Amino acid sequence: MLSQAMFPWILLTAAYLFSLGALGVLIRRNPLVVFMSIELMLNAVNLALVGYSSFLSSEEGQVFAFMVIVVAAAEVVVGLGLLTRVFSIGRELDVDDLDELKR
Amino acid sequence: MSTSTAALLAGLVLLLPLLGSALCGLLGPVLGRRFVNLAGTLSIAGAFAVTLVIFAEILGAASGHQSVTVTFWNWLNLGSGSNLNVDVSVTLDQLSVLMLLVITGVGLLIHVYSVGYMEHDEGVARFFSYMNFFIFSMVLLVLAANLIILIIGWAAVALSSYLLIGFWYERTSAVVAARKAMITQIIGDVALVIAAFLLFLNVRTVPPTCPPNLVCALPGVFPQHLYTLSIPQILTHASSLGAGSPLITLICILLAVGAFAKSAQFPLHTWLPDAMEGPTPVSALIHAATMVTAGVYLIARFHALFDIAPIAAGMVACVGMGTAIMAGFIALTQQDIKRVIAYSTMSQIGLMIFAVGIGAYAAGMYQFLLHAFFKALLFLAAGNVIHAVHDEQDIREMGGLQSRMRVTAISFLVGSLALAGFLFAGMFSKEDLLGFGLLNGPGTPALYIVGIVVNVLTGLYAFRLYGKTFTGEPRSEAARHAHEAPSVMLWPVVILAGLSAVAGWILQWPVAFGPHLINTFLSPVFTSSGSGPIAKAPGLDLGLVGFGIGVGCSLVGIGFGVFIWWRRALNPAPFFALPGVRLIPQLSRHKLYFDEIYDWTLVRPTRALAKGVRKVGDPVMDSWIKGVSGVASDFSAVFRTLQSGLIRDYASYMVFFAVAFTVAVMIAAGLVK
Repeated sequence: MLSQAMFPWILLTAAYLFSLGALGVLIRRNPLVVFMSIELMLNAVNLALVGYSSFLSSEEGQVFAFMVIVVAAAEVVVGLGLLTRVFSIGRELDVDDLDELKR
Repeated sequence: MSTSTAALLAGLVLLLPLLGSALCGLLGPVLGRRFVNLAGTLSIAGAFAVTLVIFAEILGAASGHQSVTVTFWNWLNLGSGSNLNVDVSVTLDQLSVLMLLVITGVGLLIHVYSVGYMEHDEGVARFFSYMNFFIFSMVLLVLAANLIILIIGWAAVALSSYLLIGFWYERTSAVVAARKAMITQIIGDVALVIAAFLLFLNVRTVPPTCPPNLVCALPGVFPQHLYTLSIPQILTHASSLGAGSPLITLICILLAVGAFAKSAQFPLHTWLPDAMEGPTPVSALIHAATMVTAGVYLIARFHALFDIAPIAAGMVACVGMGTAIMAGFIALTQQDIKRVIAYSTMSQIGLMIFAVGIGAYAAGMYQFLLHAFFKALLFLAAGNVIHAVHDEQDIREMGGLQSRMRVTAISFLVGSLALAGFLFAGMFSKEDLLGFGLLNGPGTPALYIVGIVVNVLTGLYAFRLYGKTFTGEPRSEAARHAHEAPSVMLWPVVILAGLSAVAGWILQWPVAFGPHLINTFLSPVFTSSGSGPIAKAPGLDLGLVGFGIGVGCSLVGIGFGVFIWWRRALNPAPFFALPGVRLIPQLSRHKLYFDEIYDWTLVRPTRALAKGVRKVGDPVMDSWIKGVSGVASDFSAVFRTLQSGLIRDYASYMVFFAVAFTVAVMIAAGLVK
């Protein structure tokens, strides 16, 4: 059981990790690194959820954390599948190069 | 006749042609010509057999029980007060069965004829499908016991007429003629629909206890149908419109406009001659025997309204007689064999319209019946001629066909005599309605004299047509090598010639120059509403004299026709070359310039208006539309740059707005000062 006094620090850590992940998504161009950054953001959210769960003595936050883990796993499967396809057709793995959404 | 029997019979006579139409249209192209010929004619034969049963049932029914209204199902019922209640219902009575006999009987003969006429046409399945559909719509129209059903039938016959006039759609003239017919018919349709609205709004079926616009007029207060669309009810309660009131005059004029458009009466007559672009059996069935007489039927059906609207009825009589003489005049100089017959149809229908206008409903229907025989005969015989001279319709290219096509020529002669009103069919019906006009109509002596002139004209143009087509020397190579038509095309013609020859005598049989059988048969329909029986007035002597005068005038016309164009003993050309008189044949040849007048007063102004509006309106509309689209485009130009296609850009927007939203929420919650 964490002490109540640690709760703000947990939230701050989560916010720090989330911002770090968001920054990574925004400035890195390698899709693999972008993915890792997204994972970082998701885990930051998980940390916040678990922290709240502890602070409020409620299990719901932890259940949500599991949900997030499951969704993250599914998203990685899809995302990595896309990346291998992109790589296999001989494209460079650079998110700035993949701008077909505009067309 | 019990209601269930009536329902069965009416259902059969409606569904058989519809089934035939579906079979020919859907399976015909697959199963081939033989199947189409069989299905197309057998369905009509079946309908004719059922009609004969209905006719026998009505003849056998006790007096007062001859009219049966059957409701198949309730189609539409709005509200418990049943203010708007549309039943799919039909009426079997003497009037509708007389129409049915002609529609299915003459229709059957024409279908048989079509088997021969369309033998070399690729679109035979389409043709029989349309023809069967026409019979279905026409049956629906004459059986309808409800204004909505009547309007559906009314529009459906216009549709089938449109489809059949434009049957040879690769010919521009056919398509244009079909469109002209459709547009003219629509004018009548609109008038009929407005009349139906007015009838629905104004006929009160429970008048004594409930004056209009009072509380009991609210839905649900009275369980009875306060408003009604049912035709028998409207006829029974016609007096609630007020005899001679402006309202009923307006309603009757609107009904009459509908009838004029359908029956090619002045001023909506110009479509009928052009409708001859269709195949000849179509002209015989639709544009001579049945559809164009629907206007006569409409007025006869709503006789209870016209009985109490003398102004409208008088207008109808004048328009009818005016059209009769106008069309007879034009028919004198036309050179297209089918157009001459078309103008004579217009003229004869004018006489029918005149008859129903003066209240001689039975005389009008008598003329309708006999006219269906001899006019279908003339058209079918003309079809044989056209076939024999290789699709030539100009009578200047014919001549001398008498010896080459003996049966057709004799039939055509019988038809011409019947048309002109001597010896055969037309003699009885025309003298009947003219005599009635002289005796009973208000202010009709003038109209009677016009009618006598029409008789002369009819004899003239009928024998001009016969003389130019069948007598003298052949004037073209095709006419020299003409052959008689195959027997499948001869038998219907011969049967119709027989009918034209004897029908008048038989129907007149029991009392010479007395009330004819059609009059006796139909009088319950026209007396049930309170209007007087349509019998000849007791002044039999005047009847005989009138008869004599009428036939005499017909003979004058026939005699001149024979002398000028058959024996060629008279040549009218020098007379018409005189100055002043020269104008007359010119007027006739140009159909009194009606097409030109409509072109200058309606078509060209409309076109000019459309062009002007386009000239003025296009820039205005363009500037509006371009303005609107310009604003949208300028506005979106700002945001368009945001869509770079780069994932990192989108992610940064998300982050930016997520942060902005969070900050906004915090400010709103007072967490940040």
